[in-house]
Amino acid sequence: MKKLFIGLSLLAIATFAFAEPFVWPAAWSNAAPGEAVYGGTLKIAFVGDPRTFNPVTSAESQALSDFLFNTGAQLLMRGPDSDDWLPYAAESYTVNDEGTQIDIVLRDGMTWSDGSPITTQDYYIRYVLETDPDVGSNGYDGWFMDDDPITLEKVGDNGLRFHFPRPDRLAFPVAAMVPVPDAIFGEAYRTGGAEAVKALWGTNVDVTKTVWSTAFIPTVFQPGERIILERNPHFGDWNVDEAGNRLPFLDGYNMTVVADLDTSLNLYIAGETDTFNPRNLDDIGVINQAVNNGDIDVIVLEAVSPVASSQFIVWNWNKASDPDKQALFRNVNFRRAMAHVMDRDAIIDLVYNGSGVPMYTNVYPINTFWINDDVEKYPYDPEAASELMASIGYDKKNSDGILVNAEGKTASFILATNAGNTAREQIAGIFADSAREIGVDVQVQPIDFNLLVDQLLSEGDDRPFDAILIGLTGGSRDWPFGVNVIPCGTNLHMYNTSGGCLTAQETLMGQLFNVGREELDTEAARKVGLEIQATEADLMPILYAVSPMAHYSWASDIKGFHHDDEINALVGAWELPMIFKAD
Amino acid sequence: MFVYLVRRLFQLIPTFIGATMLMFLISQLVPGDFFKAKELEPNVRPETIQRMRAEFGLDKPVYVQYVTWMKNLAVGNLGQSFVSNQPVWDRIAKPMRNSMYLAMLSIVMLWAVAIPAGVYSAVRQYSVGDQVVSTLSYVGLAIPNFFFAQVLILGLFLLRTLTKDWFGYNQLIFPVAGMTSSASLTMSPWGQFWDIMWHMLIPSFVVATSGMAGFTRVLRAQMVEYLGSDFIRTARAKGVSKTKVTYKHALRPAIIPFVAGIGGLLPNLVGGAGLVEVVMSWPGITPTFLTALSSQDIYVVLGLLVVTTILLMLGNVLSDILLAAVDPRIRYS
Repeated sequence: MKKLFIGLSLLAIATFAFAEPFVWPAAWSNAAPGEAVYGGTLKIAFVGDPRTFNPVTSAESQALSDFLFNTGAQLLMRGPDSDDWLPYAAESYTVNDEGTQIDIVLRDGMTWSDGSPITTQDYYIRYVLETDPDVGSNGYDGWFMDDDPITLEKVGDNGLRFHFPRPDRLAFPVAAMVPVPDAIFGEAYRTGGAEAVKALWGTNVDVTKTVWSTAFIPTVFQPGERIILERNPHFGDWNVDEAGNRLPFLDGYNMTVVADLDTSLNLYIAGETDTFNPRNLDDIGVINQAVNNGDIDVIVLEAVSPVASSQFIVWNWNKASDPDKQALFRNVNFRRAMAHVMDRDAIIDLVYNGSGVPMYTNVYPINTFWINDDVEKYPYDPEAASELMASIGYDKKNSDGILVNAEGKTASFILATNAGNTAREQIAGIFADSAREIGVDVQVQPIDFNLLVDQLLSEGDDRPFDAILIGLTGGSRDWPFGVNVIPCGTNLHMYNTSGGCLTAQETLMGQLFNVGREELDTEAARKVGLEIQATEADLMPILYAVSPMAHYSWASDIKGFHHDDEINALVGAWELPMIFKAD
Repeated sequence: MFVYLVRRLFQLIPTFIGATMLMFLISQLVPGDFFKAKELEPNVRPETIQRMRAEFGLDKPVYVQYVTWMKNLAVGNLGQSFVSNQPVWDRIAKPMRNSMYLAMLSIVMLWAVAIPAGVYSAVRQYSVGDQVVSTLSYVGLAIPNFFFAQVLILGLFLLRTLTKDWFGYNQLIFPVAGMTSSASLTMSPWGQFWDIMWHMLIPSFVVATSGMAGFTRVLRAQMVEYLGSDFIRTARAKGVSKTKVTYKHALRPAIIPFVAGIGGLLPNLVGGAGLVEVVMSWPGITPTFLTALSSQDIYVVLGLLVVTTILLMLGNVLSDILLAAVDPRIRYS
């Protein structure tokens, strides 16, 4: 296992040790080498104003994150063609034999957008700020492995050393950190403490005074209207393509702030913006119509991959006030019966217009490497569902057509979901209709999102719900199992929050989670991951539904995006510094 | 009059405190808080969320939160936005200004169209023109603003198809979203002014039409009543010209209710143009308010309500003063 990491490290050293700038592989772009031209501005729209320009306190998952907060001189990065971590701002990296330490040698010649050098102190200060709870950084939790802290130290002039309490598959995302300028953030922290850091770079900042390591830097911010980013003149000092051209190619970005995605679509078909990610086939229809009318000249990539999120139903195992329901929800045959009435094909057709894929495990379908295709799937089969219900005593129907057991208890429950999420409301409706066909009475109850989350995360022996349809996002490509989800006693172990495990499978999954997380050999970890999924499929505590597909579209004159088979919801459509606008 | 004004202003204080208490109470009745969504993130630890709640004082009893907020309010501090970690005033000042632009143009449009239309309808009662104005008024009253805005956007796209087919011109006549063009920064100040005006025409028109319908109907009714009054008959008998009778003798008293309502325009000016701003992506108060509501950025929501409440109260005082100025029957001394 460690051999793989050592091998990777040696490869990284051999490839990059003597090359001062980072050379962006031509294979990451579909444009021919030498085809790229300089110039042009990319016009895009994004929903809502940025909330801050402060990368330490930012909690944004979109908008500026892709341009400023999560890119720039990150120590390690992934290309679109592999899951391997490459040294980027790191000239090289090594992992110790125990897998508990990552040593980084920083690349020479990197500069901030103001021309000052990027040093190890710029990384170290970010670690200091993120691990100070008073700063309130969104990255704070990433510096813990369970409750044990991960630490960073400076080694010599250009070395950084990450210490992990145990081997950790999630170590590389931590070590892929992005720096902040010590001259600004460190200085504020040293003189004014956490409050001074929090006060930095709010939306009232003069963006021309901010300093970045990214390919593009903000030069204008008009709240509610637009942000303009221009080429970082120093990025090309240490970023070139294989032909030796300084990156990026574009002059900049013109980002229009819009209120919602409908307006974003309007701007796109008006020809005012260059990119739009269609939400569904309706959007694609509108775009195709504009293309057919000759109004816009764009590329549409339909259904390139499933999105990276889940939709599922979870039953409440802690319902002491209603022992019959609790017994029903804890009965695996009931849950398997419910799995057999989940008509995923109907959901894909009716909710997502045929553009979706079925989901059977907690790993998002896009994460194909980690998916266990051999788990028990419990396909749509009302007859099998009826037999399972009969096997647990629900073998007769009352005058309303609802299944009853020998004690006269009806098979019925309330399925709550968040009101306003039309897709979830439709999924719940389809599921309820299918369940009704076999005599299980499911009453769909759309409620306020916050109330739903309160119910879902409530703890103890008597929680106030029957079943909930909801979804999760987030997760890692390195170990796609949620640290707060799988082990018993964690806050997102949603079906049972009594504090401990109630079944052998729960206990086993918790153990497997820790084994897999600490297994650095990817193949070995994958096997553990497959076992987690198989165990969960056996227990069936959560019924996964479907994952809709992601779509992309952009103006035909944009070139240098990924090869078609590499574009997906995890890696996106292009590498920012490599795209260009054709004449 | 001065004594009356002072008394009125002092009366506003308990009203304001009552309003803030009500606002705060209602805001606390909403389940969950700003950090609720964070609890669904698989890699965020519960203790982190607790710490964040404590940092923003959300772990304290409601009355403590209210008193703290009121203390800040007393020194002009509307509080801190959870989302951007910035003073609320910084978050709402520009959207208020932008909404004000929109509201002002729509008011100008409203008065410029509704007064002549109302007078025309009243003077030519039951004529074809009156019927047309009445029909348009009812249509205007019936169509929700956000829907009308969407219809106009669709119309702009259809118009583009026509202009392309007929004249080879493949551009939209008016912008479908936003407040400025992407090239606005390179324009002269005068160019930037016209750029904003150009973006403002469609949303202002939509906002104006909603008020226009009601305004026209009420003005018509007022005018019809006054045109049938004894003093009008007397004026006509004395040989006063038709124009003078209509615009001086009848319109002046007929317009009094609208003048009195000017005070009510004050909160409307900053209250935003409603969902039109969302549909047309106008960076005004409504999108800010809705975003703050959905993310439970509660002090931004309260800040907007406080400003609107103050303006509403001041507007009422202003209405009373204006009423006294235009209506000789009213005196506060």
